[in-house]
Amino acid sequence: MLEALGRIKDPDLGRDIVSLGMIKELEVSAHGKVSFTFELTTPACPVRDRFKSQAEDAVYGIPGVTAVEVRMTANVRPAFMRPKPSEILPGVKQTIAVASGKGGVGKSTVAVNLAAALRKAGAEVGLLDADILGPSVPAMTGSRTTPSNANGRLQPIDAHGLKVMSFGHVRPPGEVTVFRGPMVGKMIEELMRLTDWGRLDYLVIDLPPGTGDASLTLGQVIPLTGVAIVCTPQDVATDIAVNALQMFRKLNVTPLGLIENMSWYVCPDCGHRHEIFSHGGAEAAAKRLGVPFLGAVPLEEGIREDADGGIPVVISRPESAGAKAFVEIASQVAARTSIQSFRQLPVINVH
Amino acid sequence: MEITWEDGTRTTYSGQQLRWACPCAECRGEAGLPGRLSRVKELSPEELRIKDVILVGQYALQIAFESGHATGIYTFTYLRRHLVQ
Repeated sequence: MLEALGRIKDPDLGRDIVSLGMIKELEVSAHGKVSFTFELTTPACPVRDRFKSQAEDAVYGIPGVTAVEVRMTANVRPAFMRPKPSEILPGVKQTIAVASGKGGVGKSTVAVNLAAALRKAGAEVGLLDADILGPSVPAMTGSRTTPSNANGRLQPIDAHGLKVMSFGHVRPPGEVTVFRGPMVGKMIEELMRLTDWGRLDYLVIDLPPGTGDASLTLGQVIPLTGVAIVCTPQDVATDIAVNALQMFRKLNVTPLGLIENMSWYVCPDCGHRHEIFSHGGAEAAAKRLGVPFLGAVPLEEGIREDADGGIPVVISRPESAGAKAFVEIASQVAARTSIQSFRQLPVINVH
Repeated sequence: MEITWEDGTRTTYSGQQLRWACPCAECRGEAGLPGRLSRVKELSPEELRIKDVILVGQYALQIAFESGHATGIYTFTYLRRHLVQ
């Protein structure tokens, strides 16, 4: 049985599913009925359905098997180094940063929808808005309330099944934040440490744009599994996205890949596809840099409308091209972070 | 301090070695000016004893010594490539 299943390879991890420990609770009844649990490394696995049918086919191929029952589950593996395990994000398995070189490329929209898509796939997901100076997550998730405080810990705000925390939630309303870089880092550290995240498969972190002081501080303060870089297709934007990528490489944060936002626009009147900011720039840049291209998102009025209305488009209009693009990107991101969870991290001991 | 790297290689560092290799501006000097480590000949025992090691992001270690000196950020690249005995 295991030999037959062992011929199935995980395309991302490059190893067979049996040696990866994905097959569990294997039982064979006297009448030839086989049942087992297929444990994926993420509920948002892009090859989930293919795995299920491959596993069924493999077992049905064995003489004497009359029935096969495959239970598909997922268990996200932890994948980042913590400064002090008890203090920083103790229940969080993976931290995914969404960054950009340039502002205004739709980074927060991508972060919100990425989080919502992972949640829809069945994962426990948190969303941390690390843009201290210009927090947009509260508005985009329709969560403009103030978090309650229990035993000195902030309760994240529940929005569309996501646990959300932003500096926009805690600062006095109507006040402008004017901070220097180190202060920004301090604030983020506090939000991470003081929030009661509970158990999370993924914490999606919306970073501020750029490679300046604030971003650098955050790269140093937040322990990250990997970073996804958002850019728009035109040369000016991809060039700056490359800078962001290089910064994260310097900080030893794995680039999960590039996402092209505002990739095309379908005119509701004439139905023509317009490539306003050109098209394919991010994919070409990803190829040049040797990082994965995670997908392209169209420019849609619905995405903007729903962001302003506080509902991620993957929830409000799941059938739209934009929502489908986000779901596909979320699977790709989850697959990339799963690979990170099989990476051996350095272990430091002090005697 | 002992580090087991991603590939299984193990490297060890003494407090004395790390203290003299401190990359911080005060120790190394900056803008072409000589730092403290190029001026002193000897360091006291508490300057050489490691008190705490803190991970910085995913790329470096901040090493604190008994003397209170803790400004050195030792990147993994520095530790692996330049400080191996």
